[in-house]
Amino acid sequence: MIRGSMMLQGLIRTFQLLAIAAILAFLLAPVLLVFPISFSADAYVSWPPSGWSTKWYVALLENDEMLEAFRNSFLLALYVTVLTLLIATPAAVALARSTFVGRDTLISIFTAPLLLPSIVLGLAILIIFVGQGLVGTWPGMILGHLVITLPYALRVLLTGLGTLPMFVEDAAGTLGAHPLTVFRRITLPLMTPALVATGALSFIVSFDEVVISLFIAGTQLKLLPVSLYHYVESRTDPLVAAVSAIMVLGTLLIVLIMERAMGLRRTVAK
Amino acid sequence: MYLKVDSLEKRYGAFDPSVSNLSFSLAQGELLGLLGPSGCGKTTTLRMISGMVAATSGRILVGGHDVTGLPTYRRNMGVMFQSYALFPHMTVAENVAFGLEMRKHSKHEIAKRVESALAMVRLNGVGDRKPRQLSGGQQQRVALARALVFEPDILLLDEPLSNLDAKLRDDMRNEIREIQQRLRMTTIFVTHDQTEAMAICDRIVVMNKGRLEQIGTPHEIYETPATPMVADFVGRINRLKGTWRSDGAIDINGSMTIRASRPGARGAPVLVMVRPHRIGLVASGSAIPSAEHENVLAGTIRQVTYIGDTLQYSVEAAGARILVEKATTSAGDPFQSGAEVLLHWSEQDTLTFAADGER
Repeated sequence: MIRGSMMLQGLIRTFQLLAIAAILAFLLAPVLLVFPISFSADAYVSWPPSGWSTKWYVALLENDEMLEAFRNSFLLALYVTVLTLLIATPAAVALARSTFVGRDTLISIFTAPLLLPSIVLGLAILIIFVGQGLVGTWPGMILGHLVITLPYALRVLLTGLGTLPMFVEDAAGTLGAHPLTVFRRITLPLMTPALVATGALSFIVSFDEVVISLFIAGTQLKLLPVSLYHYVESRTDPLVAAVSAIMVLGTLLIVLIMERAMGLRRTVAK
Repeated sequence: MYLKVDSLEKRYGAFDPSVSNLSFSLAQGELLGLLGPSGCGKTTTLRMISGMVAATSGRILVGGHDVTGLPTYRRNMGVMFQSYALFPHMTVAENVAFGLEMRKHSKHEIAKRVESALAMVRLNGVGDRKPRQLSGGQQQRVALARALVFEPDILLLDEPLSNLDAKLRDDMRNEIREIQQRLRMTTIFVTHDQTEAMAICDRIVVMNKGRLEQIGTPHEIYETPATPMVADFVGRINRLKGTWRSDGAIDINGSMTIRASRPGARGAPVLVMVRPHRIGLVASGSAIPSAEHENVLAGTIRQVTYIGDTLQYSVEAAGARILVEKATTSAGDPFQSGAEVLLHWSEQDTLTFAADGER
């Protein structure tokens, strides 16, 4: 009896491990496959590659359009991240620290774009931007991306502010610190992990955004996700795999930074 | 009077006020307790005095100056929080130095005063550590040092002992009192623990539902409580309902007669309260010492509870249950459940309240 139930337990355990392995493989396979394919010597995407080379990385470095798109996307993500932090930080502090009627409603409205399909947002933004001549311009692109990064930022920052230790800001006030000093010396240092996380998230969201960029980048302003999209429409060579591999590594780097920041929070708070 | 709180009121929206018509004052160097059950408005009062919460109406005066409109950072009051509220990203020394830095003292001066403040709370040598590396009791001392180092006009303590374990709590309580007296610091001490308040406060304000119930010395609060709520809150007590008779005695259920030192109006309903440890207990048939001013009642013991330092007897007398407490002795328990006994207590220990005045 006992032996039978132990065997059964062993079976269940094995099955659980297999299931977890299958799920991980399903989730990670497309990401991991990109790396061998990017070193393929073939002229088109195939598995397994018939030979190995670094020629698609060389091709990428010689592809002016991709390089320009990469530079633009990087700069755009940078601008968007900085602006997101500058706008969302005071907004989050105001929403978290003051109590007024309709505060919760306001938070819901501010974070609502998270729930909308980006194709709806993209279309709506396009309709407004066409009239203002913002399509295909840097200000237009930045504004468009802010629409999606700000709700994320607000959510993360509000959560971060909610986990600050109780009354430390009040305590600083009783010690003679002006509210601005309290923010600079107490609130800001304690919410640094949340700020780092917000920055990383904004950067990734902006850098990877396809739909809204497709709608409002126009033809003049080249962005990496848009250029990639157009590229694979006409060609199927492993160049896109090389670009993807670089993007995966970049994202991984940012996630690691975030993880460090979150770990930092665990040691700072308490 | 150094600190004056005058008709202070706090309202949140259309609800009943959290604090209303609250007035009291403190002499320089006095330690005043704000005592009451949770939700009675004592912490709100403290937060209004420190400026963290704006008063709806009323005034707060420090040394004759109206500070009601001043922001917290200009009030010069040291506050110790229940959760300590130490800055987790700063060292102990940086925490203590913060108030001095805000006052733009020189580096040298700050270092000197931080060191002596840490010495005052017996925490020499931990200045370089982060608060989370200290024990709860040590964090508490850091919070006290931080609140005192800049020589505030008033020290406000918000339930400072409730996060400590029982033994540490008594030590810390006495230490706070000792430091407060040495510095002659005008202090308000918020607590829900009557023992704590009694032990160290010069005077106590008892609050209930946002109002002041009574203000007085610990002795006054305990011996002559102004309301049934105060009598009930500051220690265990027996309650009996009765009616004043024309001869100045109190009739309870028509089966018991009690005398109090202050008679009331004839026929008026009255609430009688007696502390369990002020009631004497002798075997039925024994003589009562100095029986003239004593209330004497025959009863039967229904339950005996031994709790180490005291024995609690639940006695059935004249249709009511009366709790009696006696200090234990090594000789053991003189009365068993079912024993016939006489209860007796003096007229002075008989507290009476107009029954309709009960809140």
